[in-house]
Amino acid sequence: MADAVAEKVIATLATVKRIPAENITINTNLQEMGIDSLDVFTLLFELENAFKISIPDDDVRSIKTVNDIVEGVKKILAASPPDPSVGSASPAV
Amino acid sequence: MASRRVAITGLGIISALGLDLAQNWTALCAGRSGIAPLQVVDGAGVGLKVLNGAQVRDFDPLKHFEGGKDAQLDRFAQFSVVAAREAFRDSGIELSPEMRLRSAVICGSAVGGQASIEHGFEDLWVQGRGRVHPLTIPKTMANAGASHISMDLGLAGPVYTVSTACSSANHAIGQAFRLVRDGEAELAVTGGSEAIFTVGMLKAWEAMRVIAPDTCRPFSKDRRGMILGEGGAMMILEPLEAAQARGARIYAEICGMGMTSDAHHLTQPTVDGPARAMKGALREAAMMPEQVGYINAHGTGTAGNDPVETRAIREVFGAHADKLAVSSTKSMHGHALGAAGALEAIATVLALHHGILPPTANFTEPDPECDLDYIPNRARAVQVQAALSNSFAFGGLNAVVAFRAFKP
Repeated sequence: MADAVAEKVIATLATVKRIPAENITINTNLQEMGIDSLDVFTLLFELENAFKISIPDDDVRSIKTVNDIVEGVKKILAASPPDPSVGSASPAV
Repeated sequence: MASRRVAITGLGIISALGLDLAQNWTALCAGRSGIAPLQVVDGAGVGLKVLNGAQVRDFDPLKHFEGGKDAQLDRFAQFSVVAAREAFRDSGIELSPEMRLRSAVICGSAVGGQASIEHGFEDLWVQGRGRVHPLTIPKTMANAGASHISMDLGLAGPVYTVSTACSSANHAIGQAFRLVRDGEAELAVTGGSEAIFTVGMLKAWEAMRVIAPDTCRPFSKDRRGMILGEGGAMMILEPLEAAQARGARIYAEICGMGMTSDAHHLTQPTVDGPARAMKGALREAAMMPEQVGYINAHGTGTAGNDPVETRAIREVFGAHADKLAVSSTKSMHGHALGAAGALEAIATVLALHHGILPPTANFTEPDPECDLDYIPNRARAVQVQAALSNSFAFGGLNAVVAFRAFKP
């Protein structure tokens, strides 16, 4: 079943790492795909833009796989509707 | 403490004249200027009057940085790394783990990654986004260029950035020279980089009323000011003995530097400050003025600099000034601020290596106040024995580096 949140997370991850989305699955381990702490900052920034949400710092520490991110985003979306005050991001340049 | 001769064994450069060393040298010899209408700078909304610049064209960061790394580096730091990699490859050196611990990276930059923070401010206050890119801080810091070179090439000795406006790179090169000469480092990557083509920075330069509306014509009577440039240039310095022992190609020797301050005015240069810096470089290099055949001048093309620099050269060299060849390569690669001394060091070192003096391009008419031989428009095949490279900065800070042709 297509999962819109997962697709968007994977697309964002692919943009940040400049790799094809096909190379990423829901079970991909972030460390194994070369995501370092700086990439995580950029990824969170782009996810907040993509989903118009605010991700609390405390939610970030346990992220290990793509699925962890997808579940985290879903939890935030369920708790509150998208925050329109979070503007669309300027892309990573 | 050891006092060793220091060789230049590797060069790397990216500028408006080209994306590598060969392209840059070809343009310098041809007297071809990289100054052109600015691209990708949208200043229409703020009435930007600075229309021309020496921009790096066709640079694709994705060809140099993988896995999203490009987004972690401001353009100025990307230039640093690209130039350093080329210089390192060019030197052919292979470093042992012990050597890496004794390798320095000393870089110059006037404004570092300020383009990144300007981008963040635009997000905040123009676009109303309420947030800035999370890597704004590490991209903006002036030492980012030096740090990325250190990480990229695995050089773990002294690493720092010197920021003295337009003299940054010369101060950095001088510091690196002394580290290697005195045995504090066994290898140094040194130079400078700058990337300043943003609307905010161009407006700030516009307000100083020193930018030419057409092009940069140093020492020419009809000069109308400077033209901004961008880029990066790096050199590899090693002890001469070590370079010879490994059979390295030696481009030239770096043998002295002079540093002075005018202690006078933020933007108005003096004759005395630059003259003392040139004398200091000659003194440290144990060089007689008559041995110098070429000076790569600061030569900004402004009303203020060019006659004052001319008088300073006359004061230092006396009658020999009339036998000197002097050129300003800023007429071609523009004024790249904190990278200027590095771009010009490479022009000077290659002039000594190849026996070809790069010209002052865009030269149209002699100025009675600027009465030296400026190598107008055409490169000259002359093998000189020694050369100086001048950099003078806003704030009255002068740094001059002395180079000598290498004779095996």
